[in-house]
Amino acid sequence: MSAAGAHGVAPSWWSPGRLDQRTRIQLVVIAALLAFTLFALPARMSAYWTDVATAVAIFSVVSLGLATLMGRVGLVSLGQISVLALGAWVAARLAFATSLPFPVVLIAAGLITMVLGTLVGLPALRLSGLYLALITLMLAGAIGVVLASTDFPNGAGGFLGHSESSFGNPGVRRPSIATSDSAYFRYTIVVSALMFLLALVHVRAKPGRAWAAIRQSEPAALAAGVNITLYKIWAFALASFMTGVAGGLLAGSVGHLFTTQFPTSQNIVLLAVVLMGGIYSLWGAVVAGMLIKLLPALLDNWGLPADLLTILFGVGVLQVLTTAPAGLVAQVPRDLGRLGSALAGLVRGGRGPEHGAATSEEPAAPAGRERPPPVSQRGAE
Amino acid sequence: MPSWDEFQPFIVTGLALGGVYALSGVGMVVLYQTTGVLNLAFGAVGAMGALISWQLINEAGWPDWPAYLVCIGFGAVVTLVYGVVFGPPLAGRDPLIKATATLGLALILLGAMSWIWSDKARSLDLPTTQEEAFEVGTIFVNWTQVIALALGVVVTAWTTAFLRFTKLGAAMRALATDREITATLGVPVRRVEASAWLVSGLLSGVSGLLLSNLVGLDATTLTFLVISSLAAALIARLRSLGVTLLAGLAVGVVNALATPINSISEYRDMAPFVLATIALLWLSRRREISFARAGGSL
Repeated sequence: MSAAGAHGVAPSWWSPGRLDQRTRIQLVVIAALLAFTLFALPARMSAYWTDVATAVAIFSVVSLGLATLMGRVGLVSLGQISVLALGAWVAARLAFATSLPFPVVLIAAGLITMVLGTLVGLPALRLSGLYLALITLMLAGAIGVVLASTDFPNGAGGFLGHSESSFGNPGVRRPSIATSDSAYFRYTIVVSALMFLLALVHVRAKPGRAWAAIRQSEPAALAAGVNITLYKIWAFALASFMTGVAGGLLAGSVGHLFTTQFPTSQNIVLLAVVLMGGIYSLWGAVVAGMLIKLLPALLDNWGLPADLLTILFGVGVLQVLTTAPAGLVAQVPRDLGRLGSALAGLVRGGRGPEHGAATSEEPAAPAGRERPPPVSQRGAE
Repeated sequence: MPSWDEFQPFIVTGLALGGVYALSGVGMVVLYQTTGVLNLAFGAVGAMGALISWQLINEAGWPDWPAYLVCIGFGAVVTLVYGVVFGPPLAGRDPLIKATATLGLALILLGAMSWIWSDKARSLDLPTTQEEAFEVGTIFVNWTQVIALALGVVVTAWTTAFLRFTKLGAAMRALATDREITATLGVPVRRVEASAWLVSGLLSGVSGLLLSNLVGLDATTLTFLVISSLAAALIARLRSLGVTLLAGLAVGVVNALATPINSISEYRDMAPFVLATIALLWLSRRREISFARAGGSL
């Protein structure tokens, strides 16, 4: 940013003069949504729903990390929940061991997780595609085994900071400006919004273009002079940082961390909801956060078993991968559009729904930069 | 450091477990080679089969052996149906996407299992476990352990011979090289792929049954034990059946041998991950790993 400023040229992601109407509408909608969640929502929610909403925000950030890796760069990580657990562990350890201000704890947790994530990613980046995904799955299993025996810090001494006798200790402290549940919810929303902004900045600027090139074709990106290793590590670092910060937020939110909050299967569930939400749009991450945290709470409220959701997510993965690569974020508006034209066709009494549905095929694709890459065909290289 | 005598029983446990890892590893490698699908739902299918057997024996009062056959049959049918329904539409996609899709199946089965059979402790005792087969020195070996190791070795040998000497095996090897060219040669691609799915499904049922006995009947544990067999398959670079067998045995033995050593006992379940990670990084030091085909994006 500073470099761009020095040359007197606005960075490419910030050019108010060129804002088209669509972007302006989006900005207004986002501002309105943020204002609503920050000021109107907390007063209307019970303690239970405040907790749920906080979790939704936190998991949106986690989903954002994974969606950035998958949608922008084309890397699949099957261990993001384990990275989240790592971030939560670091944040809890720092919060108990030091009296650093909470934002510093968050950033430190993000940075330490980033370093760990990048160290893991560094050798793994020599592998590609399937093998990288499998390595992350293995590491998730390994982190799970380690956490099962070290457990989370609960205020005891020593490097691990855990002892059975410290269970009565107060949990991870929250920032002094946000000790109550609704204040902490607002705090979480603000931090999450910053993380989304961070992702947006990356996507709109040079890294985003480099990632797009890598995703389309690594050899072509290499030929165009893109430093593939650098930008892949960059993506890993960014995703780990965001997930680490989310871990810190989670530690502050729940206070007492347990390994049961991070089951290995959750890694797969996260992948499922991120795919279902849509990996090519930042909104997809918000949808994913809701799918993974809001839906279970709703089902619980209605007295339905949460296992139904796991089944639903499984079906969702298969459906997304076979028919709708851009996820719910693109599919719902498209299907609503089709339904709308079909109904309009019926009302007009013309050629019937088939005709209407056929004509609405084109605008279905998400606009401009959000468009998913063409489905890769075998032998298309 | 424990003495040699204390290690001996764990070698037996390790070899038995390793035999099953090898069995599952072979099932996954054959399927991957033929269809390009790495079936990450392998463990979940086996787990559900074992739970169904448990249900039939303990709740419906079935005799043992038909219930075990149902378990194996369940594995075969579910895997085959998945392969026939979702194999063709995803055939042209990246291996990464095909593997991700099987996670969908894993989630469906996982959800169904924890819905139907809540996380209550269960055990499925094969009749072969109660009988002591023989003693090696002072170590008791039961028939399940013998069967597990023997099956691992026999299945590996049989599959290798099958791929090498039969017409169907040749077709599978051709598919592993190139699906389109194989199709133009007049090989009924979908039928060959279906048979690979079927074989892989049978093996998932058998390993589910054995693992539920050797490790314990728990949906989540059994589902994620697939990672251990995956480790064996990965060490073999998803290619060589013989290496898969050796790697499976190694993973099982290392895992079991760490048990009596107090300082690392808690971390023994990391053995598969550590071994596979080291092997993968070592193998990729000159990027010898076979890469995903072009267009790795989702």
